[in-house]
Amino acid sequence: MATEAQDLVAPLPPNTRGLDFTQALQTRSVAPATASAATSGPVVRTERLSIYYGNFCAVREVTLDVPLCQVTAIIGPSGCGKSTLLRAMNRMNDFIDGVRVSGRLLFNGQEVYGSVFDPVELRRRVGMVFQKPNPFPKSIFKNVAWGPAVNGYRGNLAELVEESLRKAALWEEVKDKLNKSALALSGGQQQRLCIARAIAMQPEVLLMDEPCSALDPIATARIEDLIDRLKTQYTVALVTHNMQQAARLSDRTAFMLMGELVEVDATSHLFTTPRDQRTQDYITGRFG
Amino acid sequence: MTAHFVNLLDDLRRRSLRMASLVEDMLEECGEVVFRADAALARRIVSRDTEIDEDEVGVETEVVRLLALYQPVGRDLRLLTAVLKVTNDLERVADCAVNIAERAGHLEVQELANRNEDLKQLFPLTRRALRNAVQAYSAEDAAVARGVIHDDAAIDALYGQIVRQVVVTAPGSPAQMAAVLDLLSVAKNLERIADHATNIAEDVVFLTTGAIVRHRREEVDA
Repeated sequence: MATEAQDLVAPLPPNTRGLDFTQALQTRSVAPATASAATSGPVVRTERLSIYYGNFCAVREVTLDVPLCQVTAIIGPSGCGKSTLLRAMNRMNDFIDGVRVSGRLLFNGQEVYGSVFDPVELRRRVGMVFQKPNPFPKSIFKNVAWGPAVNGYRGNLAELVEESLRKAALWEEVKDKLNKSALALSGGQQQRLCIARAIAMQPEVLLMDEPCSALDPIATARIEDLIDRLKTQYTVALVTHNMQQAARLSDRTAFMLMGELVEVDATSHLFTTPRDQRTQDYITGRFG
Repeated sequence: MTAHFVNLLDDLRRRSLRMASLVEDMLEECGEVVFRADAALARRIVSRDTEIDEDEVGVETEVVRLLALYQPVGRDLRLLTAVLKVTNDLERVADCAVNIAERAGHLEVQELANRNEDLKQLFPLTRRALRNAVQAYSAEDAAVARGVIHDDAAIDALYGQIVRQVVVTAPGSPAQMAAVLDLLSVAKNLERIADHATNIAEDVVFLTTGAIVRHRREEVDA
């Protein structure tokens, strides 16, 4: 494993812009981030947040709290703006041309847009897991170690990799093949590897954009069990089309429709006694 | 699939309402048995119970099937749980009607019943409670359901009055005592039927509003 850690210095994925590990280790110092238990308010809060793609308003004046160490699910039909809202939480929308944001987005009470908040630092503290598993075409070890290494992690990388893989419930399955290509893993294992990769950055928040939509029922069940465990340490915001998944996994559920937040409530309440008729129609399949 | 599911829910509701209609008929006939000698009618009430039992099992099986296959949420989930509970209460009402028919099938009880003005009041009050509960369920009317819940206290009071009166005028002979015990059993079963009607009304409040008012009388009017 030590060899693997040293080997990390040489091959870097193409988007590192020339930064190598030696440089990284010398120039960056990353304090381990933990879920900020001291925070009394929501970890992420949007206040009348609107997001435009050119002239099209994808998210309209959404005010939503994502509370500490809870799973907040965002549901709604395709095109309702739920993924756009999720991606705004770590400024992933910045990479899309013509995106404009108004309103406020607060991370631990600090303004995320229009301030001095470093987007790179934000993305380290607010990790993301995508719909389709996207491991690097590298070894399992490098997939997990790469992020912390380029961010100047000064601890023991091998220990961090093991800890992250254990948290992602993948360690027992891969501990004997850390040097094997991540692409050889099954879809469910790849997705857990991506979660381990996010965890390795020691984030406070995990954003998950339909993390199980490409997985079979067994792999989905494992990811759901994992999310349920992760919420004791991390704040999770989850976008899903699967309403049963939102009902099973989340503490709070937000329903969006045509860019607007229609209703947000405790999940047990929203799925039994929704306040808004549009929510009622959507969750019972009578929408449209 | 949604239209299909909606049709299945409608069918299930119709089955439970048909069951309610049968149970209402049984209670109506109990009045005939208690105040007029009609042994044939008493036997018919007892024989009808099997049909109600089978209806309840049929509805329960269908509810479980729909829960497993469709994983309903929101109002659909509330409807299925309400149907399950309402049919259970209806089956218990049918059991109470059978008890009344079995205990009131002899002349001594009929004589006592006809002299007991409180029992004469208790019958129509109980019938009304059940009828209103079924109507509230059929029309999904929370206001009518709340009325049933409120009225239960009067029925409880009337039953208490019957018990007190019987204790005060307790007869001396064992034969008369047996008739009095049967009369008390009739009154107790009527009071229990009103309780089941109250349960149904509480389920209607849950179905229509999502509020659980069972054991929380202060929330009935909330």
